[in-house]
Amino acid sequence: MTFGRESSLARGSLVVAAVACACALFGVACRLTEPTPDFLVRLDVSPSPPRVGPATVSLKLIDFLASKPVSGARVTLEGNMTHAGMTPVFAEAKEFEPGGYRATLDFTMAGDWVVLVHAALPDGRKLERTLDVKGVRAD
Amino acid sequence: MLYDRQTNPPPPAEDSRPFDLLRVPLVGNLLRRRHARTVLQIPLFVVAALMILHGFFGPQLAPKNLATTLSWVHFRGALVLALLLAGNFFCMACPFMLPRNLARRFVTPRRNWPRALRNKWLALALFVGVLFAYELFDLWGSPLWTAWLVVAYFAGALLIDGLFKHASFCKFVCPLGQFNFVASTVSPLEVKARDLNVCEGCRTKDCIRGRRERPESPVVIQRGCELALFQPRKTGNLDCTFCLDCVQACPHDNVGIVSRLPAEELLTDKMRSGVGILSKRRDLSALAVVFTFGALLNAFGMVSPVYALEGWLARALRLNHEAPVLGLVFALFLVVEPLLLLGAAAWVSTRWGGLRGGVLQAVVRYSYALVPMGFGVWLAHYGFHFLTGLLTFIPVAQSAAAGAGWPVLGEPLWRLTGLPERVVYPLELGFLGLGLLGSLLLTYRLAVEDEARRRGLVFATWAALCVALWVSGFWLMSQPMEMRGTFLGN
Repeated sequence: MTFGRESSLARGSLVVAAVACACALFGVACRLTEPTPDFLVRLDVSPSPPRVGPATVSLKLIDFLASKPVSGARVTLEGNMTHAGMTPVFAEAKEFEPGGYRATLDFTMAGDWVVLVHAALPDGRKLERTLDVKGVRAD
Repeated sequence: MLYDRQTNPPPPAEDSRPFDLLRVPLVGNLLRRRHARTVLQIPLFVVAALMILHGFFGPQLAPKNLATTLSWVHFRGALVLALLLAGNFFCMACPFMLPRNLARRFVTPRRNWPRALRNKWLALALFVGVLFAYELFDLWGSPLWTAWLVVAYFAGALLIDGLFKHASFCKFVCPLGQFNFVASTVSPLEVKARDLNVCEGCRTKDCIRGRRERPESPVVIQRGCELALFQPRKTGNLDCTFCLDCVQACPHDNVGIVSRLPAEELLTDKMRSGVGILSKRRDLSALAVVFTFGALLNAFGMVSPVYALEGWLARALRLNHEAPVLGLVFALFLVVEPLLLLGAAAWVSTRWGGLRGGVLQAVVRYSYALVPMGFGVWLAHYGFHFLTGLLTFIPVAQSAAAGAGWPVLGEPLWRLTGLPERVVYPLELGFLGLGLLGSLLLTYRLAVEDEARRRGLVFATWAALCVALWVSGFWLMSQPMEMRGTFLGN
């Protein structure tokens, strides 16, 4: 009787482990199915290395297939820290040269930041990219 | 009837009774209900399930994921505040126990927890392991790993308590539980027998044995304390999960959740049911030390000097992997520093202060006095994240609902945050001050009770240690916080 009960516990544990593994694999698979990068987004931050406070963020948006800069896009930036619970910062970028966009983003805390680039392209397509800005300094 | 003031005190007069949460209308009625714990566990279980799902399938950016936001901002902060203001109510509502309790309906474990492991050493190692993994894998920034950690807790509770009798997982394994046990020694509420005279006359001891259909029946219809805490001899909150099984089992309605002087139990050195004598428990003492110094280490991981130290160690030792560098930092702060500081204080106390007993005995006895200071640092640190990010769960929940194709919560309000840092900083200092005050009072009382030849010197020595810890905490909280997990990568 005891043996039977413990066998069912073992079976239950195996089911739990199998479901957890399936969840993890599915999660990883979901992240691997991001759209093919048709566009190149290059990001520069000034000052470099970045410091706490307002920073000039410059973006270069290039159509990878046509090998030309993307003009006339509406580009917004969202800066998040890598830790939860921090205030995100937002900015709208202005085009200052063909395919070149610039915005001022206020890094409110030292550490690693992630900048989300949201772009509405002139042909109606939407582009999203996640770019790291590591090691924002306190002083 | 004659009353001995020490062992058999007279029943308290009606107006001198301590506050008893179970006598408060509505709340008391709810908590006394048989399935009160399950009712509290179900919402937390649902939240935990959502966290796991979002951790696995949601966005892998920590501020946009429920797993990381709720675990590292809200859960930790709410936990320490509940411990400060009430008691170990998070163990009471622990969601990991829900599937375990369900499994126990079908499986009755037959094995006893191994005798060699009936102490806190394993749990202490796991506690340090969680703190280490938190830094090494940047758990605060990884929804996937955070979800796995929650899954590991569920699986651990199910497996351990599926194989071993009683609450082996809570008492001997759960790292979070050990944190709660130590921290709840400074809580203002305690599960306690209301009148020891009633216990004197009790013949069935249901609070520990469980209530049976009939006294001679083997069938238990309400379990007693699974953590071996016998109410008449229970002292304080150590090892108490606030499960209220004793409240349900007592046929005399003689167990309450009563008020007491926070941290006073750390002075009591008598035999405690299920715990033993504090001054003879080196494992518990080590847990108290790691709890205190771990608080400083965990906060140190948030400020920029830690990167300078890690970078210097990596260069000096020609290391390019984080794990050995982090291991050295942990060994320095959790082993070397406590050994030096507590060893020196104990040596001065015994050698020049005339404190009886050896150095190790003094270390064990006075280590418990550091708990309030350690708790003050945890409070300041976790309170900071909780209060500055108080409302961030709202946009994350809105985003999660929208991501699941169910946008009923509306557009995410990403600008919702919490209190400004300038408002939270004085609160952090207040928590640190409270911790220092508590530790100073405890060391003073210990020095007086120990009747050392030069008790002033004994107190001054340990007070200096407490002040040194406070200065460390003050310095840490005054540093600009820095969120970084890639010091070697940079």
